[in-house]
Amino acid sequence: MSTSAKRQLPLWEMALVVAILAAGAWSSTLSPYYLSVDQLFGSTRAFIIPGLLALGLAVVVSLGEIDISLASIIAVGTVALSKLSAAGVPFAVAAPIVVAIGALCGAFNGLLVAKWRLPSLAVTLGTMGAFRGLAFIAGSEVGYTDFDDVYLWLGSDYVFGGVVPVSLILFALAAAGVWFLMHRTGYGRRCFSIGLNPDAAWFAGVDVVGVKIRAYALAGALAGAAALVWVGQYGSARGDNADGSILFVVTAVVLGGMDINGGRGTLSGVVLALFLLGTIRNGLGLANVGGPTQTVVLGGLLVAGVLRPAAAAAIARLSRPAKTREARAQGE
Amino acid sequence: MKMKLLATLGAAVLAVGLAAGPALAQQKTSGFKLMMTPKWTGFPYFELTGEGAKAAATELGDTLIYAGADHAEVSLQVETLQNFVTQKPDGIILAAIDGNAVAPVLKQARAKGIVVGTYDADAAVAGRDMFVNQLSYEQAARVMLDAALIDAPEGGEIAFIAASPTSPNHVAHMKIMTELSKTEAKYKVFSVVDTQYAGDDDAKSYDVAVNLMQAHPKLKVIISSSAVSAPAAARAIEATGHVGKVWATGFALPSAIKRYLENGSQKAFAFWDPWELGYVAAYAVHQKLAGKFDPKEGAVLDVPKAGKFKTFKDAEVVYGKPLIFTKETVGKYNF
Repeated sequence: MSTSAKRQLPLWEMALVVAILAAGAWSSTLSPYYLSVDQLFGSTRAFIIPGLLALGLAVVVSLGEIDISLASIIAVGTVALSKLSAAGVPFAVAAPIVVAIGALCGAFNGLLVAKWRLPSLAVTLGTMGAFRGLAFIAGSEVGYTDFDDVYLWLGSDYVFGGVVPVSLILFALAAAGVWFLMHRTGYGRRCFSIGLNPDAAWFAGVDVVGVKIRAYALAGALAGAAALVWVGQYGSARGDNADGSILFVVTAVVLGGMDINGGRGTLSGVVLALFLLGTIRNGLGLANVGGPTQTVVLGGLLVAGVLRPAAAAAIARLSRPAKTREARAQGE
Repeated sequence: MKMKLLATLGAAVLAVGLAAGPALAQQKTSGFKLMMTPKWTGFPYFELTGEGAKAAATELGDTLIYAGADHAEVSLQVETLQNFVTQKPDGIILAAIDGNAVAPVLKQARAKGIVVGTYDADAAVAGRDMFVNQLSYEQAARVMLDAALIDAPEGGEIAFIAASPTSPNHVAHMKIMTELSKTEAKYKVFSVVDTQYAGDDDAKSYDVAVNLMQAHPKLKVIISSSAVSAPAAARAIEATGHVGKVWATGFALPSAIKRYLENGSQKAFAFWDPWELGYVAAYAVHQKLAGKFDPKEGAVLDVPKAGKFKTFKDAEVVYGKPLIFTKETVGKYNF
């Protein structure tokens, strides 16, 4: 990675931090109810489920691939959990099974993408429908609500004086784990190297197929974990669970500075982007700003995220024309 | 803090009382903060229910905020409701996307003393104080068959298009219509030949309607409880040259079927007045807050401008004023 890229990324994270603070300040002027500890912690629950998906998607995107089937894997997970609950399986056994089912769904995506070299957008568009169909067939639209309290704890309870949602702690652990994997281990470096140039990575001895399948399986497993949170938070498992949440997830990943073509980005950026989007949505929601406006804001930020590398490159070209281009060429 | 609030409240009541003249009321009877969320915003049907509710709130001296996501996703609806609860309203009015998934946040609201009323689509009973139901299942079934009788007075084969085999109201409607076609003299001219599912999807409804007409050459009427499927069936009838042979009916917004009624390819569709449904829902929540209406079985909600509505089991207040649109009447409605 070139030195200029290294300098560029923390800058983006700083910008996100500033934006979060600005959005928070703005939100507190929008609504008198915004600034309270209970409210602030409670509001994070709204983006923990997309947040878990975003962590997994960030890994997939680092490879230069995409996975839009993750929300459907949640539905498979919630329906599977409802079956296990109905069968009287203890949560401690059911939870790992659901995460494993998520990982299997993800690995199936990975197999199609990596082994048979199919375009990931087409593959996951297909499995998005297939997984959801599966959830509908198994779970039905009426759904299942008869969950034991133990099943609900993860998504509905609070700790530390009833202020911090349990699911927020799960998210923090998952985020720390994925950050470590991507930025402190050889596996993470192999992911980014495949994203930069898969052929070069292959020639360098990287098991491209294996790395990709594992990345998709990880994303699927995180979606399985999100299904556990879903059931706790909403107490309802049915085929249409989490339908339509993928825009938020993709926005968080791209706005967080993950290059959609792969090879670049940081997990801390993705987490910061999640907090930024969550803050904006929380503020707008408390000010009762309508849904269409929120969707426009979300779409606008997605475009901003996609344009960011191009804009940064343009600015760099303007300020240090020849040198930067040389440095970038060498870096890549 | 609480004392201060009470003092302010007392002063406000006093001021209102002094200004208005009459004796001071013991209980707050006006000035409630109501918050309302539909399944999703932007759809004319729900916008009208919002306008109706706002009109009721204005008349009754309440404020009403109408907000929600622009697509029907339950996690967004729960987020909206969570934001409502944070803003400490007196009452919440909603049309639930998934009645069970909204229950936890609604229970939380009720624990804080917020009165919760559902309309259009109910939530789990423990999550709300009342459900203002547009039509009872039997009323809905009867009005659709009545519309079918306008289409084909001589009767014949009928087929249903529902959203899905698990959509509770659609399934109940079809069951009752099937029974009525066997038991009640007026409806015995009909025989049910098929049931198909189209998931409230326009294109799928169209395809299903075309298939029904091919599979049943003697088919007379296609009936759907879905406001998406019924107009799509009308379009399919026109496009495949079945005008005058097959009819479509069921629930549809007048704006969606006006064209077919006016050009004569269709004769009758049914619905209810969404504006008034929203009006009654807000009225009911207000009356409950003011201590003037307790939604127990048998209780009657008196809404001067709309009528008297009876309460059934599980605090279900039935609005129950179906409308049938024909060529002559469809022009009167603006939704």
